[in-house]
Amino acid sequence: MFKGKRETSDGKFALMLLFPSIFLIVMLIGYPMLSNFYISFFEQPINPNLAAKFIGFENYIETLRDIEFYKSLGITLLYTLLVVIGSTLLGLYVAILFNRPFRFRKIARSLIILSYVTPSISLVFAWKYMFNNGYGVINYIGRDILHLFERPPLWFDDPTSSFILVVLFAIWRYFPYAFIAFLAILQTISPVLYEAAEMDGANIWQKFKAVTLPAIMPVMLTIITLRTIWMFYMFEDVYLLTNKVNVLGIYLYETAFAFNDLGKASAISVLLFLIICTLIILIRKRVNLNASS
Amino acid sequence: MPAVSTRSTKIAKKSSFYLGMILLLCFCLFPFFIMLMTAFKSSEEAISTNPTFLPKEWTIQHFLDIFNPGIFPYLTYLENSFIVSMTASVISVGIAIFGAYALSRLNFKGRITINASFYTVYMFSGILLVVPLFKIISGLGLYDTKTSLIIVMIVQTLPTAILMLNSFFETIPKDLEEAAKIDGLNRVKVIFYIIIPLSFAGIVSVFVYCFMVAWNDFLFASIFFSGAENFTLPVGLYALFSTPDYVWGRMMAASIVTALPVVIMYAISESLIKGNVTDGGVKG
Repeated sequence: MFKGKRETSDGKFALMLLFPSIFLIVMLIGYPMLSNFYISFFEQPINPNLAAKFIGFENYIETLRDIEFYKSLGITLLYTLLVVIGSTLLGLYVAILFNRPFRFRKIARSLIILSYVTPSISLVFAWKYMFNNGYGVINYIGRDILHLFERPPLWFDDPTSSFILVVLFAIWRYFPYAFIAFLAILQTISPVLYEAAEMDGANIWQKFKAVTLPAIMPVMLTIITLRTIWMFYMFEDVYLLTNKVNVLGIYLYETAFAFNDLGKASAISVLLFLIICTLIILIRKRVNLNASS
Repeated sequence: MPAVSTRSTKIAKKSSFYLGMILLLCFCLFPFFIMLMTAFKSSEEAISTNPTFLPKEWTIQHFLDIFNPGIFPYLTYLENSFIVSMTASVISVGIAIFGAYALSRLNFKGRITINASFYTVYMFSGILLVVPLFKIISGLGLYDTKTSLIIVMIVQTLPTAILMLNSFFETIPKDLEEAAKIDGLNRVKVIFYIIIPLSFAGIVSVFVYCFMVAWNDFLFASIFFSGAENFTLPVGLYALFSTPDYVWGRMMAASIVTALPVVIMYAISESLIKGNVTDGGVKG
């Protein structure tokens, strides 16, 4: 009897506390997600006072017929794949390196996180300057000091070198996220497990496979999933760095705000959403299979 | 007993570890180093075809320039960024504290569903919502106002803030709350007198997260603002430096000053969280 009373009052109180959060999220995330579907069936005139025209699947057909969309999709998938692999592995490697006490550990950790907290715009300026064709320090080091190349690539003006830069930038910028998450989980692994494995004569790789990997698997899965989503939707880093790498985020942004085609941009949003859902399901399946085998 | 390693292999191991650490830090910090040094170089030196790592002549002119309204509206952008990020983070954290408390402490129907939907929302946002949010903001007559960005930043940070606070609140022992209730505190008072003080470090780090998201945002700021008087730092700097006459030293000085607030806040929040998993576990 006492318990029943408490639960009803909990319900009301909880609703009161949660109301602002739920209200805002429903109005400004839930509703917009749905309204993407709605807008995507209309042709939106540039003048907002004019009525939108219902055109059915026209926006979708137009997008799916656009060769640029497929190019962009290919670039985005490759970009996502490389950055997810690169930043996760580097993050894991650095976390393992840090998973022992050493001098200056705390300060080194803070310095590594620096690229992750700094605004993109600041980092982009530094990179643009470093990779500048005329007086960039990278060309100077690569050509004049190390003699890696005779004629340096036109970093930001060539699609291939721009792509490499954009991937490198993202790995550099986002590996600290994986690093922090891996370090936290690595520190919960009991050293006893490693000692036991050592007694059984396990080498470094075997210890990693038998002790570390199973322990970090859930965190790894989360990192991969989240990083995949974030890279797939990437807009600003790429947009600010170069205009030669047309990822889907930029394709969508320009359709909406350079060509003012909001209907088509909404159709693209819906398509991106469907693609990312498929990707996530694939990742989850794949990793689960590996874990069980 | 593990094999006894000799003194020399120990030293070799140690020095290769520190060498690796130095290489890693170089990789991580090189762009920051270049940014800092260029900010102190004269404009001619910055575009010399024989680049140097350290300035031959140090100058603070670029830092003076960015704070000179006659040259550069940097202060306006800085102020706008502060207003937007501060307002959005305070409101977001404030709302999230109550939401997270309900999710972590109260029993009610739909709790699991709500939690799961916050997780989903946390994963899908940003560029996907650009078109409908633009329409909503225009529809509300908020286009080209700071309010538009504040509202959107609150919602962009809210799901994460709730989830983060939720996990901080979970670490507070429930007994403390029970004891406080026996002492006659009601639930609202429990939040203010028990939950908030005990999770202060957590709340600060959530605040810093929200501030960082709003401070760093370029996407929404670039579509919501048309007049430079509302520009936040990322759009303001981008617009200014899209002009052909770059002054690299000034750009680097502006980059540093733009990065400083979030870096400092991050450092403070890191030092507040004592003995968390990341720092503490080594001893065990």
